[in-house]
Amino acid sequence: MRNLQLSLNQTQKIRLQTALEKLESLSSKSNSNSCVTVADSIPIYEDGILKGHGTSDRKGELVATVCGVVERINKLIYVRTLRSRYKPETGDIVIGRVIEDYDHTMVFQIYFMDLAVSVEAKASFLRKKTHMCTHTAKENLCSSFKIELIAPPLTGAVHQSLRRRTAVDELNMRSIFTENDLVCAEVRSSQNDGSLQLQARSQKYGKLEKGQLLMIDPYLVKRRKQHFHHLEQYGIDLILGCNGFVWVGEHVEARDTIVVNDSEQLAKKSGGTSMDLDEQVENHTPPETRQNICRIANAIRVLSALGFNVILEVIMETVKLSNTMNLDIHEMLGSEFYVLVAEKEAERRSSLSQKEKVILACNLRTKF
Amino acid sequence: MNSLKRKSIEEPSGSTPPQKHQSENSNGAVLVEKTVTCLHDVSYPPGYEPTSTTTTATGAQDESKPAKEFPFTLDPFQSEAIKCLDNGESVMVSAHTSAGKTVVALYAIAMSLRNKQRVIYTSPIKALSNQKYREFKEEFSDVGLMTGDVTIDPNASCLVMTTEIWRSMQYKGSEVTREVAWVIFDEVHYMRDRERGVVWEESIVMAPKNSQFVFLSATVPNAKEFADWVAKVHQQPCHIVYTDYRPTPLQHYIFPAGGHGLYLVVDEKGKFREDSFHKALNALVPTGEGDKKRENGKRHKGSVSGKVGEESDIFKMVKMIIQRQYDPVIIFSFSKRDCEFLAMQMAKMDLTEDDEKVNIETIYWSAMDMLSDDDKKLPQASRHSSYSKLHAFLCFCLLALNVSNMLPLLKRGIGVHHSGLLPILKEVIEILFQEGLIKVRRKLFCLFATETFSIGLNMPAKTVVFTNVRKFDGDKFRWISSGEYIQMSGRAGRRGIDERGICILMVDDKMEPSTAKMMLKGSADSLNSAFHLSYNMLLNQIRCEEGNPENLLRNSFYQFQVDHAIPDLEKQAKVLEEERNSMIIEEEDSLNSYYNLLLQYKSLKKDIREIVFSAKYCLPFLQPGRFVCIECTRTDEKSPSFSTEDQVTWGVVIEFERVKSANEDDESRKPEDANYMVNILTRCLVGKDGVGKKTFKIIPLKEPGEPIVVSVPISQAIYLIFFFCLYAFAALFIFAKFPISIVRLSSARLPMPKDLLPLQTRENMLKSTSEFLARNSSGLPLDPEANMGIRSSSYQKAIRRIEALESLFDKHDIAKSPLIEQKLKVLHMKHELTAKIKSIKKQMRSSTELAFKDELKARKRVLRRLGYVTSDDVVELKGKVACEISSADELTLTELMFNGVLKDIKVEEMVSVLSCFVWQEKLQDAAKPREELELLFTQLQDTARRVAKVQSECKVQIDVESFVSSFRPDIMEAVYAWAKGSKFYEIMEITQVFEGSLIRAIRRLEEVLQQLILAAKAIGEAELEAKFEDAVSKIKRDIVFAASLYL
Repeated sequence: MRNLQLSLNQTQKIRLQTALEKLESLSSKSNSNSCVTVADSIPIYEDGILKGHGTSDRKGELVATVCGVVERINKLIYVRTLRSRYKPETGDIVIGRVIEDYDHTMVFQIYFMDLAVSVEAKASFLRKKTHMCTHTAKENLCSSFKIELIAPPLTGAVHQSLRRRTAVDELNMRSIFTENDLVCAEVRSSQNDGSLQLQARSQKYGKLEKGQLLMIDPYLVKRRKQHFHHLEQYGIDLILGCNGFVWVGEHVEARDTIVVNDSEQLAKKSGGTSMDLDEQVENHTPPETRQNICRIANAIRVLSALGFNVILEVIMETVKLSNTMNLDIHEMLGSEFYVLVAEKEAERRSSLSQKEKVILACNLRTKF
Repeated sequence: MNSLKRKSIEEPSGSTPPQKHQSENSNGAVLVEKTVTCLHDVSYPPGYEPTSTTTTATGAQDESKPAKEFPFTLDPFQSEAIKCLDNGESVMVSAHTSAGKTVVALYAIAMSLRNKQRVIYTSPIKALSNQKYREFKEEFSDVGLMTGDVTIDPNASCLVMTTEIWRSMQYKGSEVTREVAWVIFDEVHYMRDRERGVVWEESIVMAPKNSQFVFLSATVPNAKEFADWVAKVHQQPCHIVYTDYRPTPLQHYIFPAGGHGLYLVVDEKGKFREDSFHKALNALVPTGEGDKKRENGKRHKGSVSGKVGEESDIFKMVKMIIQRQYDPVIIFSFSKRDCEFLAMQMAKMDLTEDDEKVNIETIYWSAMDMLSDDDKKLPQASRHSSYSKLHAFLCFCLLALNVSNMLPLLKRGIGVHHSGLLPILKEVIEILFQEGLIKVRRKLFCLFATETFSIGLNMPAKTVVFTNVRKFDGDKFRWISSGEYIQMSGRAGRRGIDERGICILMVDDKMEPSTAKMMLKGSADSLNSAFHLSYNMLLNQIRCEEGNPENLLRNSFYQFQVDHAIPDLEKQAKVLEEERNSMIIEEEDSLNSYYNLLLQYKSLKKDIREIVFSAKYCLPFLQPGRFVCIECTRTDEKSPSFSTEDQVTWGVVIEFERVKSANEDDESRKPEDANYMVNILTRCLVGKDGVGKKTFKIIPLKEPGEPIVVSVPISQAIYLIFFFCLYAFAALFIFAKFPISIVRLSSARLPMPKDLLPLQTRENMLKSTSEFLARNSSGLPLDPEANMGIRSSSYQKAIRRIEALESLFDKHDIAKSPLIEQKLKVLHMKHELTAKIKSIKKQMRSSTELAFKDELKARKRVLRRLGYVTSDDVVELKGKVACEISSADELTLTELMFNGVLKDIKVEEMVSVLSCFVWQEKLQDAAKPREELELLFTQLQDTARRVAKVQSECKVQIDVESFVSSFRPDIMEAVYAWAKGSKFYEIMEITQVFEGSLIRAIRRLEEVLQQLILAAKAIGEAELEAKFEDAVSKIKRDIVFAASLYL
């Protein structure tokens, strides 16, 4: 938000100001005293503590190595950074871009940083030894991306064949992934040397097509149980990558392989596997879907520019707001909408905190 | 010879007409073919339409040549299973251990390799995985191995691994899981294992959806149910190939303890020979003090407690086996200690020639070469000195056969095999034993083994001996189940070498023919789910984007079995309801009230009887010779009689005795509290029921019957025990089916004759009893209040209420109706039916809900309370740590780590604390660890107690104290010393555990440490991580981590 450049008129400025102040008053109470900056010493209340991430022992004193909030779990003390590069954890869903392909390996850009050192990350992806390249240089996050509508998904074919990868397959990788392709995957493990292994656990991971990529600050994406969202009313897939890459694209028939229940299974059977998906190729994305993609993408842009957490409910509310106000897609990036969103968010959070208070009160009442 | 033999087995199936092809029926299950030797069946998932060319193309269709050809003719079940594999469909093969299931696995591997697909082979035990790896490696070169201990070529096309590794691979995700076309689960009947069975369910449910499976299992009667489940979960047809045929038929013998010969009980055709069974039991030599020992709970078997001088049973037995050329023989016993002790009794026996001795020694030392010199000398004592020591401390010290003292035994052709041995020794023995299969000249003639030897690799012998027919299962001795018997006896009979296998049961107890029949000829245990939840499982499921614990539960075999039972229950309930409704009784209401009155009356009577015949009041009156009135045995078992008067008879008290309960200290109890039995002489009818079991009926004195002494409990105990004719030499206990009790005592007594043995004396006594009764028809009963001095208020109250009830009876109109007896019986049946229906309905209600639903909720609550997951199911830092820990109690260990306990202590101390997580055996009198370790252990216990308390607060069913005491400090010292760098023989001196057990524990400890390294990485604590790594390097050395000989 600091680099938010909007041409606001006087009233808008004031409205934004009040909304933001309101937000601040709501949030900053809880842990204002546990905020640290680099080299701040962290108070220790007991013996035998465990030093976690973002801390260091200096002459018997525990100091913070990053700016953030001190968190304590039992005897573990670590600093949760407020704004930082993406730090991979096992099980995270990430989105990456293929930037290079050499020697049967793919280089992905997933924009992560470990201790500000640029590391060559090795990734095993789609049974390919792939390289993950980290870029320390921060890119312009809010740059607009063209909607890419390219070839039908090919990844399914590879997933489907239950055979070992051969040399021919390795050559064929080229036809599946080329530079600038977007791929979504799960972090499997991080190696000792700081490199990373990625994997595509099931059919729903893989190449992303017919959609739009947004790059936002990774701290805005909170780890959730679900990062894949299918927005049925819009026919859209939304993937919130933990590394700050957000994918908004046309919904692709879920090739999910986990059995949920019988009826779904049957539907899947009749719906066909991804093999027939190749046959029912449809290159064309209807204009309404394209518009929906843009609308959702713009909503996310607005939220991330304001520095709000990008979670599904907020995105959907923002989209709804733009719809009720009959705004065109491009008007969403206008300053008036920013202010409106900020006000809406302030309202939402205050109602949330009130609700929490009510719940708390209820809990107290039941307790005593 | 080999192929000839197999052909002859093939014949019956060859003569049957060619199999008809399947015709579909509604529920999808079709019986395709039934030959003499094998049963083939298919389970289709609901709604599945079989297509001629299967969608899951394996490339088999276009190639007519089989993926692998075998040098021998396949058995029908093998070729049937292979046909399924060629069609690219899953198959479950259920057959006896020796039948040759491996052929199917080999074919599946060959097929996958041909199609350039990955194939995974999982087995329940590390050792078995090692052996299979070796076997497959020889056959196909592209084979890898992954167990907790060792990883070889993880990128190979065929991967052999333990099921646990396969599960964690699926949780963590791996490219392997996406490439695998076939998964082979060996010994899948392990799924019923209480502790580990759940791993199979998890791995089968989570297995890649588009791969096929091969399940190899021992014979299970419900193979079809299992296949149905697989078909449902994976939406693919699953074939069942079932056979209970054995390549070599078995003969079952009984060797009575103390006896001299063998008695054929079941011949190779499966016929049970009743006559020789009885002969065998009669040959049982009663073991003088045996009764006492049994009651004390210390049952040292006749075979074990042989005296030093004379030849023990086991010695006689082995001698006989060698003389009759029934060797090689495997002798099973149910404890490690027995196993070694029996082997020691073979001291005088020498079964090998000189050149064989040399040979054995060469093999032995070449295997031992990989050990360091110190380890080779493990333990120093020669075999003979340990033998004499053994007699001194038999009950206290564990004797250990090891590297240096095993050889003398082995050289004589005698081996020992149990889980307490050093792994390397175990493997040498396995190899020596297997040599006997290949060469005519056997290396080992006689192997003493525990149950663990009965699973896994093909290691048959000609003869299998069971040293005992009872097994201790945690809290009591029980007969071996037929399933266990089948598994172990499966080792008898070598295919192509022996014409028949021989099973010998050493029996030292009288056993009923029905029990024996059940054991020898009963069906295999069925495959039942042993599903249970664990925190590690939940966390892993929650962490996965796609994972969902509910899904796992819904797809579990447990849920499937529960669902399966519902239609049956419904039907049952319906039938019962119809039956109940068909019963129409006139005047039901008034009858009902009469019925209730009767019930009350009876319960009151019972109360009174309990007071009067409590030991306190009646013992002084139970002098020998007193007349007593007892109930007659009811002829109709189903419905109790409904008259207010019971049918009674009279007898004479002979004596009373105290019943000693097995587990209680008799001195500590007051005489009033103990249970007493009264022996009463009365008239009984002796008959024989269908199975040849003797039955007794107490009948009125005037009816014809034998005068017999029966033993009746005077108070609490319910069951009546009959003493066989001569009560003085009470030998045979027979349990009656329903309770019988004394009704009243008479004030008169009869003079007791000295000797009761002659029938005439007893007859005379009964005669005088009748005479006495003829004179006094009431029998001059002792009045409870006046004569016996009962002054209890509850007694008086009960008496008053009975009087009131009696007056009510008289007023009741219905009591006068002529058919009252029958009517009441019908009503009683109706009431029973109603109760039954009620319980069935309750069962149905509970099973329609998701199994484990409540427990899942409770466990999630625990995870939230301890901060492992958030309220919207996002795994937190602590949860991520616990995710990594799968070889120890994840919650306690995580809490311990987050509490910083592991941080400030020395590496050795840390290793020693962690050892408590991996040691489960209980040692009777283990030395306490030193103070600083003791302190750490208390910290561990505190943490465990806290975790357990949170769990019990969250309504997880857990016993806090037993959870806390499940962490054992017994090997802390030993592990501490090991981490300090002591030699293995040194640490063996400070602990009393078996070497093999200790080695297993340390290996598992290393697994835990590896998981902790990952966990430390997750929280970013570099120091701790380095510490764990240091610990690994400190314990991972020498004999404990000596590589398997199979690798």
